[in-house]
Amino acid sequence: MLEIRDLTIAYGKHIALDRATLNVAQGTMVAILGANGAGKSSLLGAIGGRVQPTAGEIVYRGQSLLGRPAHLLVEQGIALVPEGRGIFPGLSVLDNLRLGAIAKRAATGANAQMEEVFALFPKLAQRRSQLAGTMSGGEQQMVAIGRALMSKPDLLLLDEPSLGLAPIVVKEVFAALSRIRETGLTILIVEQNARATLELADFAYLMEVGRISGAGPASQIKSDPAVVRAFLGGTLAKTR
Amino acid sequence: MLSTTLILGLVLGGTYALLALGLTLQYGIARIMNLAYGEFTLIAAFLVVASFQHLGVPPLVALPFVTIAGYGFGWLLYQVMMRPLVARSGSSGRLEVDSILATFGLLFLIQGVLLVGFGANFTSISYLDRGIDVLGVSVALNRLIAFAICVLAGGALVVALQKTRWGLIMRAVALTPGSAPLVGIDVNRVARQGFAIGSALAATAGASISMYQTFSATGGVVFTMKALVIVIMGGVGNVPGALAAGLALGLLETFVATAIDPGLTLAATFAIFLLVLLWRPQGLFGART
Repeated sequence: MLEIRDLTIAYGKHIALDRATLNVAQGTMVAILGANGAGKSSLLGAIGGRVQPTAGEIVYRGQSLLGRPAHLLVEQGIALVPEGRGIFPGLSVLDNLRLGAIAKRAATGANAQMEEVFALFPKLAQRRSQLAGTMSGGEQQMVAIGRALMSKPDLLLLDEPSLGLAPIVVKEVFAALSRIRETGLTILIVEQNARATLELADFAYLMEVGRISGAGPASQIKSDPAVVRAFLGGTLAKTR
Repeated sequence: MLSTTLILGLVLGGTYALLALGLTLQYGIARIMNLAYGEFTLIAAFLVVASFQHLGVPPLVALPFVTIAGYGFGWLLYQVMMRPLVARSGSSGRLEVDSILATFGLLFLIQGVLLVGFGANFTSISYLDRGIDVLGVSVALNRLIAFAICVLAGGALVVALQKTRWGLIMRAVALTPGSAPLVGIDVNRVARQGFAIGSALAATAGASISMYQTFSATGGVVFTMKALVIVIMGGVGNVPGALAAGLALGLLETFVATAIDPGLTLAATFAIFLLVLLWRPQGLFGART
């Protein structure tokens, strides 16, 4: 569904991503794991049209995504939940979700989709008229994910959904992701929380300082001793 | 005496509110502080007067055409002049500085064209200026019409912004332009539309004002200043705030003119402006951070 070939991203002389190649097959959940500064967000930013790559190719359903403005991706079925969430803090939860369905592809059945999002995140239904910016970090993340689902995406891109959240809230977010996963939606997730992500994902790529250093089915990666040392050791998670 | 001040003040304030709506939309949605805004209203006023004097077109008939032309003018101006500034500004605050400088230049360009086309004399027409009795106070019909246009246009805009899908998109771009592409909104298109609607409102205000007020090719800056004062009093980008502040300013000016001295109206306007800037820089009516 999504193919990335030799993607390189440089900010001036600093190379954030060095010839990354990866594949996301339809209906799977693929994880990109790595510490801060490994180039994960740059990679997702390039797919989402927010970062211009220096070289390489991003192909989605046989078409190149390079040079395409960010606002056109939604119509093609790609929804991005960026780091920092990118919600509309000055608007109500309901308005945030309505905006998620602004795209033409989501126009029909928006109400049914809203009910599904409310079923997934009952808290959003209770707080529908609250300003999104006054909610807690975890609730805002639910708004962001809920809004992305409102566009009825074929591919969901998640950038560090657990970042800055309390452990109990992280659990809640991953529980929701697990339910989204069951609907068969294709998901590409970038995370630092390797353990929880590997529980859900089918396939994982490991990133270190701008390079993809390993890849494999999530079940294998989980039990790989080198990976356990570097990514699942707990204290090693923060390198910068 | 008090009812006279109140009614005349509200009628004057209606025009001010209409004048300020366009400016607040242009700044709130397109992030362009348009210093040539008063000149936009003057172009419309001169067009209405010229078509009345030379072609015999009644100003009320000319008004919808001038409004549509204002939309087209704003659209084109955004596309030709503002788009390059927007494109190179990125997400920084550079657009605000660049747009102030660019529209400041545009002010003199339009003023020069108006001076060549219509001369430097004061212009006025007499149209529907018979008195109408409003609760015992005689108000000129043309002023009442201008007030009605303001209430209609302002009311329609407030309702559209709050209740429609279109309004939701506009508010999303005004509040958080950085998040808008994530839901598939083309920010550039929305900004162009906001700027064009602002120009259409400027033209509508200009056409309304031309029916009863004396104006000249060099007087655009007064319109810009008054609109700017109202916009800041109401809270930048706040449409209901601009309506309320416009009405308040009309009342204040009329009160000062009748109770103290007509020469002090402008001084009173700017005294209030300074007070607002010092104590409530976010505007009198709520905040937009």
